[in-house]
Parts: sequence; C-alpha cells; structure tokens
Amino acid sequence: MRLELRNIEKSFGEKNVLKGISLEAESGKAFGLLGRNGAGKTTTIRILMDVFPADGGEILIDGKPMDYTKVGIGYLPEERGLYPKKIIFDQLLYFAQLKGMKKKAATEAIDYWLGRLEMTEYRNKRLDTLSKGNQQKIQLVTAIAHDPDIVILDEPFSGLDPVNAMLLKDVVRELIEKGKIVLFSSHQMNYIEEFCSQIAILNDGHIVLAGDLREIRHHYVRDRLIVRTEMTEQLRADFGMACSVQEDGSLLIRLDKESDKKQVMKQIIDRYDVDEVKVYEPSLNDIFVQYAGDVTKEADHETV
Amino acid sequence: MRQFKTIFGFEMKYYLKNKIFVGVTVFLLIAIAGIMFFPRVSMLFRLQESENESADRARLYLSVNAQLDAEMLENIFAESFPEYEISRVEKSDADMKKVILEDEGSCGIMIKEATDITYYVNNLSLYDSNVYTAEAAMQKYYQMEAMLEKGFSAKEVGDIFAVQIHSEIEKIGTDQSQNFFYTYIMIFALYMVLLLYGQMVATNVATEKSSRAMEVLITSAKPVSMLFGKVLASCLAGLVQLLAVFGSAILFYQMNRSYWGDNPIIASIFAMPPQLFGYMLIFFVLGFLIYAFLYGAIGSTASKVEDINTSVMPITLVFVAAFMVVILSMTSGNVDTLLMRICSYIPLTSPMAMFTRIAMSIVPWYEIVVSVGILVIAVAGIGVLAAKIYRVGVLLYGSTPKLKDIVKALKNA
Repeated sequence: MRLELRNIEKSFGEKNVLKGISLEAESGKAFGLLGRNGAGKTTTIRILMDVFPADGGEILIDGKPMDYTKVGIGYLPEERGLYPKKIIFDQLLYFAQLKGMKKKAATEAIDYWLGRLEMTEYRNKRLDTLSKGNQQKIQLVTAIAHDPDIVILDEPFSGLDPVNAMLLKDVVRELIEKGKIVLFSSHQMNYIEEFCSQIAILNDGHIVLAGDLREIRHHYVRDRLIVRTEMTEQLRADFGMACSVQEDGSLLIRLDKESDKKQVMKQIIDRYDVDEVKVYEPSLNDIFVQYAGDVTKEADHETV
Repeated sequence: MRQFKTIFGFEMKYYLKNKIFVGVTVFLLIAIAGIMFFPRVSMLFRLQESENESADRARLYLSVNAQLDAEMLENIFAESFPEYEISRVEKSDADMKKVILEDEGSCGIMIKEATDITYYVNNLSLYDSNVYTAEAAMQKYYQMEAMLEKGFSAKEVGDIFAVQIHSEIEKIGTDQSQNFFYTYIMIFALYMVLLLYGQMVATNVATEKSSRAMEVLITSAKPVSMLFGKVLASCLAGLVQLLAVFGSAILFYQMNRSYWGDNPIIASIFAMPPQLFGYMLIFFVLGFLIYAFLYGAIGSTASKVEDINTSVMPITLVFVAAFMVVILSMTSGNVDTLLMRICSYIPLTSPMAMFTRIAMSIVPWYEIVVSVGILVIAVAGIGVLAAKIYRVGVLLYGSTPKLKDIVKALKNA
C-alpha cells in the first residue's frame, strides 16, 4: 500500500497553515514527519484523518483517492487523554467499536494488546488510577486495537520509562513488519533515526526536505572526517585550525576538498594510533536544525 | 449509523451508571411514595389516637356580653367552628389574653355587642380566617335575633337558615381551578429536566474536550454522530426519568386513592386528561432536543469545564425568561395574552408556552400544528447548526471563542 499526499493546502481564516504539502509513505516502512511546533504537522495529520477537508490537493492510496470506509487509521495524538473516570476496558471497547469493530473481535483484540503491553491487571480499573506512562500505553491500544492500515504516532515515546520505551519499540517494529504504514511525528530525533527510512521536514507550511534518510545524509558534501583517538593533542597540533574537538571527545577534521578524503584517511591511520576514522555524516538533529531552524530563510524545495 | 448507535449506547450507559442520575431518580421516587402514602400512614396514627381526640381539639374561648343570648351564640359558633371546642368564659380583656397564652393552640372571641367583637390569637397564621367566620356567625346571630323580635318562631327562623342551595358548574372551556396544579407540575418538571440535562450535555462535551479524549474521538467518529448520539441519549435518559416519576406517582396514587378521599388538589392533579400527557411528551422531546443541541454546541466551544457556566448563560437566561412568562400568565389566570400567543410560536419558548395554553385554555388545532411544525423545523435546523459548531468547536482550544469567531470558523470550515 502506498499513501500519497499531493499538494495539500489549508488555511484557517487569514492564516495559511499548509502551503502545498506533498509526501509519500509506503507500507512496511516508517515515515518521520518532522517540524517545529506550529509548523503544520497536526493539521496535516488531521487532514489525513479527514477531521476537516483540505482546501486543495488530494490524498491517494495506491494512486486512487482514499476511501475512509476501507482504509483504517489509528492515531496516538500528542495531547493524550481518554475518559479519566471510566473503566479502561469499557472505553477501549467503545473506541474499537467506533472504528467499526464488532464487539467480540474488539474484546479479543483489546485483551491481546493489554497482555502484550503488560496491562491486563488494569483491565477493569478506572483510567485515572494509572500512572502517566501506563495511561499512555492504554492510549496506544486505542490507536492499534482495530488493526489499522495506517498508524500515526505523535510523540509516542514522551513520558515513557526505558523499559516501556523498549516495549513500545518492539510494538512499532512489529507494526512495520506487519506491513503497516507507520507515520511518526516526534522531536526525539534518535527514535526517528532508529525507525524511519523516509522523512519529511515541515517548515512554515512547506516541505523543506523530504526523502530517504540515508540518501539525504549521503548527499551532504563528504569533506569532513571524524577521528576517535587517544592522540588528540598530536592531531590538533598537526592539523591546526582544520581540527576541532566535538562534544563527545572525538575530533572533526575539515578537508580542503572532498577528493582529499581517501589520502587524508590513509595518512591518519598510518601516522597515529586511532580507534576509528569515518566520514562525517550529519545527524538528523543537525539536519533538522539546518532546515527547520530558520523560518525566515528562503526555503529551497529540495527533494532527494 | 453504526457509529451513532455505538455512541448512543455508550452515552446511555453513562447515565444508567451515573450515581447522581440514579440517586436523583431513586430520591424522587421515594419522595413521591412518601407523599402518596402519607394519608394512609397518618391514618394509622390517627386510629390509635382517636380515643383521646376530643381532648386534643383546640379550644375557642367565647366571652359573651351578658345582654346577648349566650346560648344561641354558642350554638351558632359551634356550628361555624366545627374544628374547635367552644368553651364559654366570663373574662376581661387581660384575662382572655392570659388564658390564650397558657392554652397552646387556642384562640378567643370576645363579644362586646352584636356588632362588635374582638378576636384573640397568639400567633396569627397566614391562613387564619377565623375572624371572618366569626363575623359571619355574628351576622347570622343578628339576623336571627331580628327575626325573633319580629315575631317569627324559633323553628321558623331555624328552617329559614337551614335552607340548602343546590348549585352546578357547567364547564364550556377548561377548568383552571382543576388544571392549574397539574399544568404547574408539568411545566416545572419540563423546566427542571431541560435545565439539568442541558447542563449535563454541555458538561459532558466540555469534559471530553478538556480531558483530550476528543482528540481520539474526533478522528474515530463523525461530529454529527457524536453530538446526536449524546443529545438523543440524554433525551431518552430524561424521558425515562420523567416517565418513572410520573408513572410511579400515578401508581402510588391508585394504591392510596381511598385514603386521599376527595382532596381537591390531589384529585385535580390526577384528573389530568391523557391526551395532555401526549402533548407533554411531544413538547418535552422537541424542547429537550432544541435546548440540548444548543447546550452541546456551547459545551464544544469551552476548553475547560469551568467555562461552561458563563458560556451557557445566554441560553439559560432565555429559558428562565420563558419560564417566568409562562408562570406569571398562569397565576394571572389568563394564558392567552398576546405575549403568550407570541411565545407559543417561538421555538425556544413554545414548548412551555404552547403546552400551558393547551392545558389551561382552548387552542384551535391548527395553532398547535403550526407551533409544533415550527418547532420541528427549528429542531432540525438547530441540530444541523449545532453539529457544525460542534465540529469546529471541539478543535478550538484556548480562551472561549466569541460568537464572531465561531461564525468566522464556520465559514472557513
């Protein structure tokens, strides 16, 4: 299955929130939708979920307009919250039935996921008796119990302890393996890097960068080297201004031109006792700051 | 449609499991049972006490000027004050006061002349009409005395005064002395139910919004199903409550009918024509829907539950004003004033106004049809509008939007 958003536009009154968003996501892959607060991520998600219509553009599944009665969507909103005073199972059943499930199937699916997320003991408790992290796990069940084709996870890892985060990672991997389209939206770049092969960065209603994360990284000029060594001082003395110490203690060496790369790497390995030499590739964090950082900067529509 | 059913079921369960809803219903049923069984229970006590009942009767001390026929006066007063035990005394003004203060519940009448009496009572109650009864008794005495003086025999005088007048009332329209009480009860029930449930719908919506359950809901269900499911479920819950209360009242009354005797108020309440109950249901359902839709729409624009009270104020004010107009016209005895006629066609006031006119006056059938027709159209229109406001409102967070903002958002949506 292939999900395509083509040239989506949306304004609220005078405010142009989306100015032609296009992106593509495929089943069996996770897609990272990035952007600063207010960039238009939630609006994009809401349009995708048909909460309100777009002013322009189309949403296609395998090239045909999306049929919401056939394509199931699960959503974990960033603003979490269910019915605090109601029994957990009751509300999970309610949401599953709203998504069109029969009672029996819904009960089975809910019990499976509660078990999977180690929440079975809370089945008949009120939601507000649970800790925040556990409430979040319950909320995750509302997003995936009805076995949707598209799963949208907005900041899924915030507020989870490492054990729960690991549990959620497994679930996400399982969803991807099952061939779901997983749409991530998060500011925790390490999770995006871990799961998403495709990303899109939204800035001020435009997609400023989109494509395969590995290719995007590779596309950067490969004129910097990362060196990990004990002989920091010698290297700094020899390379002078071209060498700087990174936050993690490794050295960043700037080359005059990309073609020097092979020769300099060889030199370093020959002369010094090094643990690691590699070509510097920007982290997603760096890419994000570069593209989403400056709103006033003329956004170049770069698609790799 | 399936979504609507799911939401309807979920909301209905909310009411049936809601402790306040169940508590209030049970309380009302117990209260009604208490009232309806009261004469039966008090009868039991009265039977036990009946032996010393005569001693319990309050005393009326009668002090008569020596020049008047004390015997005759005592007879007349005994006849006029059957609930009192008449006790003749020779007292001065100060003595009379002292006696009455000592004997709790008693009162006294000092007859100075045939045309001059003083009524003594410790605390004059609002409903104390003894002095008028005494005046009438004195008038009777005066007339009898005058006739005896003119040479009538005592028997003749007695016969003249014992004459019975037979009277009948031929009702052509409705009887306001009869229909006032049940109309009042029904209007009041309508008022309470609409106000309570309206608030409940608004709070319910605002709670979903403030707890952010709305974020998932709005992506799971159509706003129209959400609002309609909520409103119709609360309407059914209100109807169930109303029927339980009225049904149990009728049931308990039937069980205790003989004990109530011919208490005019109770009898008039239960003499309500059945078709009026039908009208009550029609106006209840339509009135409920129109207000619940408005309350639901307003609830959707509030970010916090605390904001509800100020947001719903305008609608509550209209509603209370309608209630006041109806109650005032009812107590004035004329429910067909121009204001009431106008109110019985305006959708927000017609459920109460038109119902009152049907109950207490005669309304041509075509007026009822027009009023109900306007109301039905208004319910549909407001339902659609409320769903639109709801759809926009549930996604608006921050300060409560002004009417202008909502209109703007509606245009953009």
